[in-house]
Amino acid sequence: MTATLEIKDLHASVEEKEILKGVNLTIRQGEVHALMGPNGSGKSTLGYVIAGHPHYEVTSGDILFNGESILDLEPDERAKLGIFLAFQYPVAVPGVSFANFLRAAVSSVRGYKDRAREEMERTGQLKEVGSELMPMREFRKELFEKMDRFNVDRAFARRYLNDGFSGGEKKRGEVLQMAMLQPKIAILDESDSGLDIDALRVVSDGINKLVADGMGALLITHYQRILDYVKPDKVSVFYDGRVVLTGGPEVATMLEEKGYGWVEDHLAELEEKKKLVNG
Amino acid sequence: MTKTMIATPISVAAVKAISDRYDEPEWLRQRRLAAWETFEATPWPTYKEETWRRTRLTGFNLADFGLPVETPETFSSRDALPEHLQTELDKVDSAGALILQDGALIYGELDADLARKGVRFTDLRTALAEDEELVRVHLGALVATDENKFASLHYALWRNGAFLYVPRGVAAEKPFQVLVVQGPGLANFHHSLFIGEENSEAVVIEDFMGSQQGMSDSVAESYVKQAARLHYLRLQNLDETAWNFATQRASVARDGLYRQLQASWGSKLSKVWIDLEMEEPGGHGELLGLYFPQDHQHLDHHTNQNHKTPRCTSDLLFKGALDDHARSVYQGMIRVHHGAQKTDAYQKNDNLLLSDHARADSVPGLEIEADDVRCTHGATSAKVPEEYVFYLMARGLDRKTAQRMIVQGFFEEVINRVPVPGVRAKLEAEIAHRVGIE
Ligand SMILES: Nc1ncnc2c1ncn2[C@@H]1O[C@H](COP(=O)(O)OP(=O)(O)O)[C@@H](O)[C@H]1O
Ligand SMILES: [Mg+2]
Repeated sequence: MTATLEIKDLHASVEEKEILKGVNLTIRQGEVHALMGPNGSGKSTLGYVIAGHPHYEVTSGDILFNGESILDLEPDERAKLGIFLAFQYPVAVPGVSFANFLRAAVSSVRGYKDRAREEMERTGQLKEVGSELMPMREFRKELFEKMDRFNVDRAFARRYLNDGFSGGEKKRGEVLQMAMLQPKIAILDESDSGLDIDALRVVSDGINKLVADGMGALLITHYQRILDYVKPDKVSVFYDGRVVLTGGPEVATMLEEKGYGWVEDHLAELEEKKKLVNG
Repeated sequence: MTKTMIATPISVAAVKAISDRYDEPEWLRQRRLAAWETFEATPWPTYKEETWRRTRLTGFNLADFGLPVETPETFSSRDALPEHLQTELDKVDSAGALILQDGALIYGELDADLARKGVRFTDLRTALAEDEELVRVHLGALVATDENKFASLHYALWRNGAFLYVPRGVAAEKPFQVLVVQGPGLANFHHSLFIGEENSEAVVIEDFMGSQQGMSDSVAESYVKQAARLHYLRLQNLDETAWNFATQRASVARDGLYRQLQASWGSKLSKVWIDLEMEEPGGHGELLGLYFPQDHQHLDHHTNQNHKTPRCTSDLLFKGALDDHARSVYQGMIRVHHGAQKTDAYQKNDNLLLSDHARADSVPGLEIEADDVRCTHGATSAKVPEEYVFYLMARGLDRKTAQRMIVQGFFEEVINRVPVPGVRAKLEAEIAHRVGIE
């Protein structure tokens, strides 16, 4: 089955201030959907709300994963469904090694942890420490394979999560995590920002490989640049907390020519057109 | 409070009885009696004293504790040891091990090669019998009898302790391990005396355990002679009903290196003083601390980095996580004496609050009388950052696991500076246990 993530007339606020003002958007597995919009328009907020950040309050509308609302799910439960958010600003967690963290995450998402818990409940026996984790050998093998495949230095494994990472290293780290967690739908929040051309290639290449393997991606970006490397199937324009235009790759080209100023000037017209499309 | 303190089985008669029982030399008997006099002449601390402002002795009563009378069983081989002690020793690959049970040496071993090189690693009683002069000169020369009321009591009543002497130029690759085991309801006065001669190197690990409803009143003195390197890892694992008082000091001579870890897990209440004396130029001192009080535990650490001489460096990092209604106090002082130019001293205390009811007080301090120095200090106290939790949860970890991982990570900065893998594993296991991973 092809997984879909549908966002329906989503309104969300932070500290009483409405940021998302009726977002409509559908992301399908195997598809790249670019979301372009000016700074401050609420793109990251959308990513956070999809991932379940507790700081944001959904006031109306819905988010459906394969037709079912995920609004009541905790962030980890959403991750287990196969939703992944690559952060615009990944946080550094001192003292937590990349490998240990990722092994715990993979074990949880792939059900090792739940199976260990069920087993314990069934047999009434306490399991050994580590039994809720993916076996170390298997994990390391897969991690190193993917590090090689996605051009991430093996030394990452022992480093602390994002601690002292350069901007580029953080973004590569996000791609590696994504490769290990194998989500069905990934939201990539400005995975291209602050990257030099080599890093941009590595990151884009990673996204392309995962999409080819069947992942769906919402590619949030401020610039056209990454779209030279990752070809979108659909492009949506985001403005002031909502999607104002959706189309094919030509929308990105048009946007680059005309700029966000054009969007602002033609807002009323776009709204009208959308109503026609939706109606 | 004072009234009940007078009615204690711990008395001058007990002090004399210890001297008699061990047939001690006259100088030692006199020191004990003098210490007892000082103890009696010193009032019990009140919150009016700065060091005791945040730590009250409410409920503490000397009359509640007895002195050991029985002689415990001794063991001639590791295999014969009770399993829990054997397991504890086996966690570290060591060059020697001592087990003291309520002041009696019940087991001892030392690498034959090191013994041949002149290393002495034994209980303090044996050291006193074998080299009285060496003990006489060093015992009580760093931590004075009148340092505080608990030190006075210690010097009046100490029964035994751990003794390590590393001769000039000898480097012991593997650590020396001491288990200090205390029975229920007893008062124990363990004395640690470590001497690293010129150019020597050693690591000594001391584990304090037991003492249900008891009291531990210990003193540690570490001598780091010229260009010597001494690492002292002190793991306080007492029962959570124990009262714990400890006065510790190290002196570092020219180009010497001293590193200490204080891991405070157990006790109902702890008052721990740790002083570092940089006596001659070129020395380096490092004080590391870990604590993780839970329930109603109260852990108080008081440190001094005393720079008396130029060109020394010292580095302090104390990290604590607090849960439930736990309380911690950290008071630190960097003191740079007049003329101690080119001092480079650092002091940092970080606290992670895991409960709204936990409280961490941190009082860092600087006193600088020299002008060409670099001194930095800082203290933080915060909850587990929600942004960290969200990030980990977004990767599939449930909230509890995410929080545990962050707490474990918080302590890594200290743990990865501990030079013994077996000890690192022990610390990590204790932290895992405290965050709820069995
Ligand atoms: N946690 C927050 N607290 C307060 N305001 C926020 C928060 N997150 C986002 N905002 C506000 O929401 C708006 C949209 O921000 P954001 O979603 O980061 O936009 P974008 O990613 O498109 O640049 C901005 O005005 C920003 O200041
Ligand atoms: Mg953003």
